[in-house]
Amino acid sequence: MILSIEELSISSRDRTIVDQVSLAVREGEFMALVGQSGSGKSLLSQAIGRLLPPNLHASGRVMFEGSNLLERKPKEMRALRGCHISYIFQDYQGAFTPFRSIGGHFDEYQKVHGEKSSAIRKKRAEEALESVGLGAELLRRYPFQLSGGQLQRASIATSLMLSPRLLIADEATTALDSVSGHRVLELLARKQAETGCAILFITHDWRHVRRYASRLAVMKEGQIVESGGKHRILDHPQHEYTRQLIEAAPVLNRSLKSGLKEAGTE
Amino acid sequence: MKTIPLPIPTAKSKKHSWQAIIGLLFALLVIGASLYAFLYLKHDHTLTDLRGRLQGASALHPFGTDHLGRDVMTRLLLGGGQTLGYSLLALGAALLIGIPFGLIAGYKRGWVDKLFMRIADAFLAFPDTIVAIVLSGLLGAGIGNLVLAIVIVKWVSYARLVRSTVLSESQKDYIRIARTNGLSDGRIMRKHLLPHIAGHVLVLASLDLGKIILLISSLSYIGLGAQPPTPEWGAMLNDSRPYFQSRPELMIYPGLAIVSVVLLANMLGDYLRDRFDVKKEVQP
Repeated sequence: MILSIEELSISSRDRTIVDQVSLAVREGEFMALVGQSGSGKSLLSQAIGRLLPPNLHASGRVMFEGSNLLERKPKEMRALRGCHISYIFQDYQGAFTPFRSIGGHFDEYQKVHGEKSSAIRKKRAEEALESVGLGAELLRRYPFQLSGGQLQRASIATSLMLSPRLLIADEATTALDSVSGHRVLELLARKQAETGCAILFITHDWRHVRRYASRLAVMKEGQIVESGGKHRILDHPQHEYTRQLIEAAPVLNRSLKSGLKEAGTE
Repeated sequence: MKTIPLPIPTAKSKKHSWQAIIGLLFALLVIGASLYAFLYLKHDHTLTDLRGRLQGASALHPFGTDHLGRDVMTRLLLGGGQTLGYSLLALGAALLIGIPFGLIAGYKRGWVDKLFMRIADAFLAFPDTIVAIVLSGLLGAGIGNLVLAIVIVKWVSYARLVRSTVLSESQKDYIRIARTNGLSDGRIMRKHLLPHIAGHVLVLASLDLGKIILLISSLSYIGLGAQPPTPEWGAMLNDSRPYFQSRPELMIYPGLAIVSVVLLANMLGDYLRDRFDVKKEVQP
């Protein structure tokens, strides 16, 4: 169990947004967190890295490799973020500081995580770019000189560079067309096979869930209504809301991988 | 068939470039003149010669002599260095206080922001001349106290400008992503926010420079700034006041010098503002 969220609540001053959520991610698994927008998925993912906006308060426990992240000192959290826990976000256009070169970002992230040798930093940055299919010459360029796809892959490369134990992808493919979305997920699945990191994948795209997830959790209005193995949930959804979500998802082919009937047939 | 040539849309950029060139030439001229005065001038700027007082222009004294027989040109040139030097000093100190203050307030938000901005508001409540006069009364008249007074009044506008820019900028994704990659707040402020606000601050600073020069000159004029025998344009104006009827040029020279340097600073500011394309945040 690499990450275990126990009775986590996130509240602002006047209301509770995430209510007593428990969720576990096992080592090396691809866990999908599904739910409508506004259900608290993103806040949950931000709470793991203690990245909530200052007006929101998290209580409960977030156990990561045996220690409660909510009790760690800010400095310890900084050392974890980007190194052991990495994030990938939806918006890749603004992922890099506009007036700094791509290489500058790779270099800085390694520097703050304690890599002193600049030769090693450069080599690792090149390797990270190559692992997402980009050339090392991009390191000298500035963000505006890269295409959208290059930016997306470069930002994923920064997240994967330091071989995190847990990768949190917050709607990472929502802004992409379906081909690019699948490409990103293929890349993540490949990196997962290589490094054995756990992935917490937040999405509302059922195609991706069907294809890549090993387990999934369904979230509604700040609570997890159902969680378990992918086939169990897709084939035998217990909760009414899960059933609605699955039925609302657009599907093209009638014989589904999970064996589920398309809505409206029969 | 004749083709009508399209008008080339360079009018705007042309206007800016001549402003910039004139501004630059002028700045070089002022700096060069001050340096020249500092290094090579043959007259001692404090050497009085009562027999040769209030002389007109001559080969020895191109701008004549003042009421104590001192060479006006030497004093004008050295005074430029004084006025500009102290203005830049005050500006630099205001930036040094205002930028970190605004950065922290805008980045941290919440109660830090509220506290910092209430402090800034308290400083903003005092008009600059009042502060200068009160400080001179408390600490004694002198250019050092004048600079202190200007810093006290001016740093607030930089803090507010930086804060408002940082408030909007720190919501952007690259700052969020820098945080998720484990960068410390200090590092984000220094390396990812500071360069962004530099342009805005530079514009406001150059627009402010003219105002500060005016302030130093006017307060020296009423005797709160530079003390005799230091050559300072405002103080020179004041010194020459009793002789205005007989030798008006003694007041005209330093007056012209102040006008032209302030004009130059404003032109530079306008140019920079258009160049960096900041309209909303910076008001002259």
